[in-house]
Amino acid sequence: MEIAHSAVYDETRQHVEDATLTALVDQYAATLYRVAFSVLRNATDAEDAVQEAFLRVLRHRGTLDEIRDHRVWLIRIVWNIVLDRKRRAKTRPETDDVTELARVLPAAGLNAEQRAAAAQHHAHVLACVDRLPTKEREVLVLSAFEELSSVEIASVLGITESSVRSRLFRARNLMAGLLQHSRSLR
Amino acid sequence: MNFSTQDNALIPDGASGTGEETLRLIARLPVPQLLEERVKAGLNSAPRTARILRWPAPLLRGQGWMHSTAARSAAAAAIVIVVAGGSWGVYSRVQPALPPNVVVMPLHTAPSIGFSSAGAMRTPQTLNGSVVAHPATVTPQQSKAASKSADQTAARFRQGKRTVRGARQ
Repeated sequence: MEIAHSAVYDETRQHVEDATLTALVDQYAATLYRVAFSVLRNATDAEDAVQEAFLRVLRHRGTLDEIRDHRVWLIRIVWNIVLDRKRRAKTRPETDDVTELARVLPAAGLNAEQRAAAAQHHAHVLACVDRLPTKEREVLVLSAFEELSSVEIASVLGITESSVRSRLFRARNLMAGLLQHSRSLR
Repeated sequence: MNFSTQDNALIPDGASGTGEETLRLIARLPVPQLLEERVKAGLNSAPRTARILRWPAPLLRGQGWMHSTAARSAAAAAIVIVVAGGSWGVYSRVQPALPPNVVVMPLHTAPSIGFSSAGAMRTPQTLNGSVVAHPATVTPQQSKAASKSADQTAARFRQGKRTVRGARQ
């Protein structure tokens, strides 16, 4: 009889875990996709990263109860995945970013020329972001997500909140310098 | 770089200067349609490792032989008999070695007083320096001339010393 009880318990537990996982996908897949896209800048790669992140969650679904903040935990998983992929991939040329941004950016009220120019500008800004030191770049990219507080960014990156603030300050200064420099060259 | 658009997020704001509007724009991008469905489909098709093996259904229902006390006792007894029999078989086949009656003492070939050299041999140190393949041969005339020039040098040296002493005095 004990064996039967255990089997029923396992089955129930599995159903609960599957339901939790489905709920996590519904709730956070979009956020994870945006985080992945902000680093990889490619829709297909970003979707693959989200898929991989949830597969990792599936492997550790037994520990879901122990996670305090699922959102930050998931962002941290996908963040590590995309950084790993970015490291392995070669540096993307700026032209690729222009094409991809022109494809994915909303084009409300813009004609084709303006849209192309906007995509080019954003690609140039992203190229400047790529030139930042890694620590500053990571904080700047994550700070763009309004749903992430500085405490959560600190948790994702595994640093203190004051480090987040100082790195963000440095990143903004560096970006201003880079953009100023490129503007003066034009 | 100005664009006439109603969507402020799309306007590249060169004046703000830090490029954060671009990053915010990306952070607000619409996600692809049916992303969640595709992720769920991927999760369903993924192999679920580390599953717990379940007992066969007849065993769970309590109708198998294992649920009879007598059968379980018999199975346990059979296991004990097999293990004990195997052990006895191994024990009975292995013959323990008999202790030798005579203890053979080692032979002393060259009994001597004090410590023995224990077979150690002294190896002389050798020089591994350069070896002159063709040693120079000196003829008697050459050696005579060399000694003469050496005498002359010594005489000049002595004379020089004397001159210095005379100058001091």
